[in-house]
Amino acid sequence: MTDPAFVVIAAATVIGAIMAVEARDLVYGAASLGISFLGVAALFILLDATYVAVFQIAVYIGAVVVLILFTVMLVGPVKGEAPMELKRTSLFAAVLVSMFLGIGGSLANANAFPGADMCGASCDLQKLSQTLLVNYGTQLEVLSFVLVAAVIGALTLAKAEKD
Amino acid sequence: MEPLSSFFAVSAILLGIGVYGMTTKRSAIRIIFSVELVYNAANLNIIAFSRLRNPPLVTGQVLVLFSISLAAMEAAVGLAIIILAFRLNADIDLRKMTKLKG
Repeated sequence: MTDPAFVVIAAATVIGAIMAVEARDLVYGAASLGISFLGVAALFILLDATYVAVFQIAVYIGAVVVLILFTVMLVGPVKGEAPMELKRTSLFAAVLVSMFLGIGGSLANANAFPGADMCGASCDLQKLSQTLLVNYGTQLEVLSFVLVAAVIGALTLAKAEKD
Repeated sequence: MEPLSSFFAVSAILLGIGVYGMTTKRSAIRIIFSVELVYNAANLNIIAFSRLRNPPLVTGQVLVLFSISLAAMEAAVGLAIIILAFRLNADIDLRKMTKLKG
């Protein structure tokens, strides 16, 4: 019943996320974060959201991880991080609690959340682009203005002082 | 097809790891990592929930496209703020940034 591809992808996603938070070196952390993003993109493909998966790879791995790597190179490590002992136990606690949440939820509502039906014609790219441009065209324009504002704001913040 | 609850479980685990990182880490860059993990958990949840209806709703995918763009902007502005803070303090330890404390 359980798809082996799903198990591998989910394990890569979760382990990548844990490594991103816990890795000593921030560069390794950024790489693990990229692996985790790739795993989420693969989960999107399993859910028949192929375009969203491509968008996720382009934006997250192409832009965000590269940006983070640049910042890590510029800034360098934090001096004197706290010792690991308490943090490791609380990480296990967080993972266990979230696993119990997920497994408990799936057991309690096994009939409420069946396997998704094959999407077919109702979620192909044409339908998606039609919805995006016809129903949400205004929001898309507003989003592009927000993007311009964010880029100008980031440039203004990070710009080196002249004097 | 995998049952949708498995995707919800992965999303919950990502959310847990993200919240853990946000609450315990001191480096500002790690907190940006955690925020991105929480964003990904939310996006995965939205896509999975959009498959609940029959026929599935394509609006969920549109929402996630918007959300991914906003997450990218948030990362850009956040990293710019980190660079600025590093220039002012020569450190990005958030526990030491207490200049605004009265």
